[in-house]
Amino acid sequence: MGKADRISSIFWLVFAVIVSVESRRLGLGTLHRPGPGFLFFWAGIFLAIMSLIVLAKAWTTKEPGQSIFGGKNILKIGCVMVSVFLYGLFMEKVGFIPMTLLLFLFLLGVMEKKGWVFSILVSLVVTAAAYTLFEVLLKSQLPKGILASLRF
Amino acid sequence: MDVLGNVLYGFQVALQPLNLMYCFMGTLIGTLVGVLPGLGPAAAIALLLPSTFHASPVSATIMLAGIYYGAMYGGSTTSVLVNIPGEAASVVTCLDGHQMALKGRAGPALGIAAFGSFIAGTFGVIALTITGPILSGVALKFGPPEYFSMMIVGITVLTYLSSGSMVKSLMMATVGLILGGVGMDAISGKYRFTYSMQILADGVGLVPLVMGLFGISEVLENLETEIKREIVSAKFRNLFPNLQDWKDSTGPILRGTFLGFFLGLVPGGGAIIAAFVSYAIEKKVAKNPEEFGRGAIQGVAGPEAANNSAASGNFIPLLTLGIPCNAVMAILLGALMIHGLQPGPLLMTKAPDLFWGAIVSMYLGNVMLLVLNLPLIGLWVKVLKVPYYLLYPLILLFCLIGAYSIGNNAGDVLLMLVFGVVGYLMKKFQYDGAPLVLAAVLGPMLEEAFRQSLMLSKGNFKIFVSRPLSLCFLITACVLLIIPIVTQRKKLSTLKE
Repeated sequence: MGKADRISSIFWLVFAVIVSVESRRLGLGTLHRPGPGFLFFWAGIFLAIMSLIVLAKAWTTKEPGQSIFGGKNILKIGCVMVSVFLYGLFMEKVGFIPMTLLLFLFLLGVMEKKGWVFSILVSLVVTAAAYTLFEVLLKSQLPKGILASLRF
Repeated sequence: MDVLGNVLYGFQVALQPLNLMYCFMGTLIGTLVGVLPGLGPAAAIALLLPSTFHASPVSATIMLAGIYYGAMYGGSTTSVLVNIPGEAASVVTCLDGHQMALKGRAGPALGIAAFGSFIAGTFGVIALTITGPILSGVALKFGPPEYFSMMIVGITVLTYLSSGSMVKSLMMATVGLILGGVGMDAISGKYRFTYSMQILADGVGLVPLVMGLFGISEVLENLETEIKREIVSAKFRNLFPNLQDWKDSTGPILRGTFLGFFLGLVPGGGAIIAAFVSYAIEKKVAKNPEEFGRGAIQGVAGPEAANNSAASGNFIPLLTLGIPCNAVMAILLGALMIHGLQPGPLLMTKAPDLFWGAIVSMYLGNVMLLVLNLPLIGLWVKVLKVPYYLLYPLILLFCLIGAYSIGNNAGDVLLMLVFGVVGYLMKKFQYDGAPLVLAAVLGPMLEEAFRQSLMLSKGNFKIFVSRPLSLCFLITACVLLIIPIVTQRKKLSTLKE
């Protein structure tokens, strides 16, 4: 984990510095009356010290550098994440039903290559079931989006 | 009211048809979650939390608690049949349970796991009934310094027990503490770490955090490795263990029950560690330790009893002190807060229907689980056969809907996805998510207790060591921090020799 620890400890070190600087700006207060940044300033310092320990350990280890992302499916993970991020971004504007249909069509038809008939059928069934369960039975208010005018 | 009167009142609450239905739903969903690899109880509770918003706090708590102990039961099924633990506490069951299944003894393995779980779960609930009021009474004497020190112990224990490097776990606890501070400061009214983002004004939501760290990241990791499931095809006609099986299992079940309950009480301890310790003890006391790993029924009975007993024990610090001792309890704490309740010593007097109703529902839940687990094993096996290419889009969809339903806000969905990526990276870089979640929940309470203590003592830190209980807690935390350093040095010196 030498290389991975070097990368992660530097990240947390930068994060700790940002937290401490921001906490100082918020106000440390006094020991009699600690301010809103008091605990987090010291938490940042503590995190920085811990990060330096991990960094120092990683620097002294002579392990061969292993690949951090060893799996074959890293591209698949990237595509799945992009698709769900797009879902989150557009679910309010486009609506729950069209976005869920599109998401399932993409995941089953494009990512998993399960054939379009199967993908369309499963997408329709899942979307209808999820809508019935959450919107109709559990009374969640799922976004209607472009279908708002249909009033169903 | 005495304990008996309280229990009777609890039955009155728990036996209401609506609460019975919620209890049944919770245990059923919990078993399903336990059966399905890739979705743990923490993510499932976070996922279903929004669906309880329309229910009363009592019904919601009954259902969410049912999911937790139901998952402990269900986890054994996948361990035995597929050699993949449905949830972390069932890892140990794989060792001997799957070996038993390969030898054609899947039925007795699943049977003893279910009976062991039932016995231990019921004992745990009885002990919870007795010790709950006593601990609540003690906790009423706690002041801010005691609360602060106790929370420090809780976080330290979890970092001590968590997997991997303790330094990294401490780092994650600190990050959790910082995340807990995001939003408006209750004392000064200032916004902290929000950077003018509306979504962060109320703080980092527990549900997006947990769903991201435990749900989404789990899916991403499984996509990378691709789970291969070879289910042992066995006939489940004879699920009842024979006389010899019972003879071999009685000791392990009893030992596992007591051990699990006490480990469940310790903040930071819980079902996972209880199962591992129970297995180690059983192997040590066994007449034929070489049988372990080759299908010894004691290796299934002990850990299964221990993890269920610990699950009941976990409720004690939450319900009596308001301190969650693991990530699942942290979510339950958040759930109770969303429902307008503050777990702690006053919960028993302020909301007796919830306290006793929830406890008694666990008795009923244990009976339901026994009924569910044994005859429905065939159904769970069918659930296991659902291919992962269908399962992961469904898990993702549930997470997306769950995160959105909390506040009907797409911002929560995006926040959850960000934590999903962070959680995945944390797994890759070997950082444990549990201390982060616990510290994020305890963070605001810990800060409040810390600041109140300093205000009380006029800035004197001696207040934390001058009060005996607080001092005891801090000494425990220090010991836990020192142990890994000492043991590591010992290891290094023996290596040099």
